[in-house]
Amino acid sequence: MSVSSTVSGAAAPELRIVGFLCNWCSYGGADTAGVGRFIQPTDLRIIRLPCSGRTNPLFIAKALLQGADGVLVSGCHPRDCHYAEGNFYARRRLEVFKQLLPVLGVDPRRFEYTWVSASEGQRWQMVVSKFTEQIHSLGPARRLPGAPELEWLRESAG
Amino acid sequence: MDMQGKFIPRAQLDDWLAELAARFRVWTPRRAGQEDSGAVVYLPEARQPELNRKPTESAKRVIFPRSEPLLRFLRKPDPDQTGQKSLELQVPDADGPNLVFGLPPCDARGFLVLDPVYAGVKGQAGDSYYLRRRSQTVLIARACSRALTTCFCHWVGGSPSSTEGLDVLATEIQEGFLLQPLTPQGEEVLDSKLLLSAGKEQMEAAQSAWQAAEKTLGPGADMQGAQEALRALFDNAAFWQAEAASCLSCGVCTHLCPTCYCFNITDEAVGEKGVRLRSWDACMFSLYTQEASGHNPRQDKAARLKNRIGHKFSYYPELYQTRNACVGCGRCIKSCPSRLDIRAVLTKALALSRPAAGKPETTAPATVRPAAKPKVNKPATSKPVAAKPGAAKRGKEASHA
Amino acid sequence: MAVQEELKKIILGLLPQVDCVIGWGPGPDLLCASPYFMRRPEEVDNFLAGPMATQNTALYLPEYKGKKVALVVKGCDSRSVAQLLAEKLIAREEVRIIGFPCAGVADMGKIAARLAPHGEPGEAEKAVYGEKELRITMAGRELVLPLAEIKADKCLRCAHPNAVFSDHFAGEKAAGNDDEFKDLAALETMSLEDRFSFWEKEMSRCVRCYACRNACPLCVCRDHCVASSRDPHWLTQADGVSDKLLFQVTHALHLAGRCTGCGECQRACPAGIPVLLLKRALSRAVEGLFGHSAGLDPETRPPLLTFQVEERTIKEKAW
Repeated sequence: MSVSSTVSGAAAPELRIVGFLCNWCSYGGADTAGVGRFIQPTDLRIIRLPCSGRTNPLFIAKALLQGADGVLVSGCHPRDCHYAEGNFYARRRLEVFKQLLPVLGVDPRRFEYTWVSASEGQRWQMVVSKFTEQIHSLGPARRLPGAPELEWLRESAG
Repeated sequence: MDMQGKFIPRAQLDDWLAELAARFRVWTPRRAGQEDSGAVVYLPEARQPELNRKPTESAKRVIFPRSEPLLRFLRKPDPDQTGQKSLELQVPDADGPNLVFGLPPCDARGFLVLDPVYAGVKGQAGDSYYLRRRSQTVLIARACSRALTTCFCHWVGGSPSSTEGLDVLATEIQEGFLLQPLTPQGEEVLDSKLLLSAGKEQMEAAQSAWQAAEKTLGPGADMQGAQEALRALFDNAAFWQAEAASCLSCGVCTHLCPTCYCFNITDEAVGEKGVRLRSWDACMFSLYTQEASGHNPRQDKAARLKNRIGHKFSYYPELYQTRNACVGCGRCIKSCPSRLDIRAVLTKALALSRPAAGKPETTAPATVRPAAKPKVNKPATSKPVAAKPGAAKRGKEASHA
Repeated sequence: MAVQEELKKIILGLLPQVDCVIGWGPGPDLLCASPYFMRRPEEVDNFLAGPMATQNTALYLPEYKGKKVALVVKGCDSRSVAQLLAEKLIAREEVRIIGFPCAGVADMGKIAARLAPHGEPGEAEKAVYGEKELRITMAGRELVLPLAEIKADKCLRCAHPNAVFSDHFAGEKAAGNDDEFKDLAALETMSLEDRFSFWEKEMSRCVRCYACRNACPLCVCRDHCVASSRDPHWLTQADGVSDKLLFQVTHALHLAGRCTGCGECQRACPAGIPVLLLKRALSRAVEGLFGHSAGLDPETRPPLLTFQVEERTIKEKAW
C-alpha cells in the first residue's frame, strides 16, 4: 500500500479535525476502512449523525469558531440517501455555508463536504488523508479570545 | 470648604489618566466602531475619553459585569471512598480597584439604585462580589453641558450636574476641567502634580455651565403618586397591551440601563470542571419568568413591559423604601428600536390616576430647576440634588436600613 | 407630503374592515418615528410616512394571527411580508397591504456622524424632513443635511422602493437601483486575517440584548432560541466574542435564502455592529447559486427548503 505518503508527518503535532458522518453510508465507510486496516491520519474525531441532512450548519460553525482546525461532513452519495432526500438538502446548505466562511475571515478550505458510501473504505481513506493534509498545510486555526471568566475551563481543555 | 478644587487643562488630561492607570483600572467612555454606526462604550482604556456624546451604554458593567464567575467547581476522586467523587469549590480571584472617568452624573446615581439590592436587606448578608467592586471603584463624572431630548433626570431627582454618588465632579470650562472632590477617595485621586489649584473664577465658570445645562432640560413632570398609579393599573391588561404594542421584547432597554440589576446564574462545565457564572438577564425576555413546569406567569410582552415600568416606579421604591429605580438617563428611549418612550407611558399612567384634571402634567416650564424631584421618595434617603457639589455623600451607606 | 395624505385616506377607508392598521406615528423626537397602531379615525391624523418611518411594520404581523390587519409598507417591508407568506407564517386573507413609493429612510448613525462637530442628534430642538433635505435646529442654529447623505445604505442600493405587491398603492411608483452587493466590498478587500480581526473587534461591543434577533421579521423561533441559557445550551452566558459571533453566524444561516435585507437587525443594534453584512454575504451566495432573491414572490419556496437532484451550479470538490 502506498498510503503512507498521505498520512500527516509523524513529526507534525496533531491538529483538531471534526468529522460529521452520516450513520448509513460514511460512518460505515470509515468502519470499512478500519476493518480493511487502511492506514489513516489520526487527527479526525468522528461525530455520528443519522443523516448528512441532520448537519445543522450550527454544528460546523461552533466547531470552527470554538476550537477545531478543520471540519469534514460526509454523507451518502446523492440519490443514495437512506432517507431519500436528506443529502440533497444538506448539499445546498453546506455549499451556502462554505461561501460564508471567507466573510468571517475563515479559510474556506478548513471545511469540506463529500459523499462516501459504506463500501468505499478506500475512498474514505483517501478523503481523510487528503483533508488532513489540507488542514496541516493551513496550520492551526486562529482562535477568538475566550471569555476571561471561563479561562479556568480552557486550562483543563488542553 | 476643606476640599480643594483642582483644574486640569484639556491637553493634560491623558497624562493624568495615565498616571491614575498605574493605580486603577481606568475606564473611559470611548468611541468605537465605524463612523456611521459608532457607539460610545466604556472601555478599560485610559486615553482620549469621548466627553461630547452621551455613552451608549451605562457604566454599570464596571461594578456589575455582564458576566462574572461566582465560583469554580472541580470533581475529584474521593481519597476516602473508592469510586466516589468529592466536590471542590474555589472562589475566583478578585480584580483590583477601578476608576471611571467621564461618566454622566446619571450613571453614577444608577449605582445608588443598585446598592440597596446588593447590600443585603434587614441584616441579611450582602453580595460580596458587588460590594467589593463597589467599594473599590472611584467615580469621576463630567457634568453634562446639554441635555438630550431623551433626558429626564429632573423627573427623578437628578440634574446635569448632580453630585450624588460621585467621588469627583468634573466640569468642562476654559479649555480644561474643574475637578471638585466630594469624598476622601476623590480628594486622594486629585492629589497629583499634574493638577493646578482652581480659583474663584473657575468655580464661577463651572456654576454658569451648570445653570446653562439646566436650561436645556425638557419639561419636568410631577411624579407624585406614580407608585399608586402604577399599582392601580396592575390589572389593566388593555392599557399595557396598547403601550407595549411596538415593543420587540429585546433587551436594549434593560442592558443599557444604569439601574436594571437582574441576573441569571448558569453553570458552564467541561468534564469534571465548571464555572458558575452570573450574567445579565432582562425581564423583557420571556425566558426570564419561564418556570420549570413550562408555565410562564408573564406570557406576553405587555406583562413584561408592565413589570419593567412598574418595578422602576412602584415596586422598587416600595420594597426598599427609597428612590425610584430610574435615573432618567433616557437610553431606553434613545436606543429602543421601536422608540418606545417610558415617559409617555408614565405620563399616561399618572393622568389616569388623576381623574379631576384628566390632563397629563407635563407642562412645567423647561427652566424649572429639578424641583420635580420625586415626592414619593422617603426624605431620609433621597437627598435634594444640589448644583453645588459637596452636599451629597455616596449613597451606599445611607440608602439601606 | 401628498403621498402621506393619500395614505391617510386609504387607512381611514380600511379602518372599519380591520382590527388595526400598522404604520408609523410620532416618536420621542422629531428625527425618527415609532411604529403606530391605528384603530380609531382620529388616530390617523398623526400617521407619518417618509424618511423617519424606519421600522419594518411586517415584524408585528405574526402577532396578529387570526385577526385582520392592514399594513403600510415600504418596499423592503413588503418583501418581508411576501417572505412570511411564502413560508406560510401568515395568511394572505388576514392582511391588507398598503404600498407607497419609498424614497429611503434616514440612518440615525449617519445623522449622528454628520452632526458630530455641532453636537448629537438628541440635542436637536427642531427637525423637519423636506423633499431633499433634513433641517435641524441646534443651539439656535439651523443645519441642513441633504437626504442623499443621511439615507440608510440599504436604501441607496434598493431595487424595490415600491411594495412588491399590495392591495392599495398611494402615489406614483418610484425607480429602483441595482443591488450589486457593493457593501461587501470593503470587507472583502481585507485579508482573511484582517476580516477575522474585524469581527473580533466589532463583536466585542455586543451586550447580548438580542435586539438584532427580535427586530428581525423572519426570525421565527422567537422564545425557543439557540441563544437560550437553558436547553440545549449551545452558547455559554460568558461575555466572550466567540459565543457572540457564533450567535450571529447561526442567526444569519437561519436566514440564508430568506433574508430580504431589510436591515432591521443592524438598525436595532445599540452598539452599531454591522451584523447585516453576514446576511448579505449569504444572500449573495444564494442569489449566485440558485438565482433567488428572498421576498419577491409570495409563492416561491425558499431555496434551502427545496433541492434539485442535479445541482448544476454547485461545484463540489474533486478529491
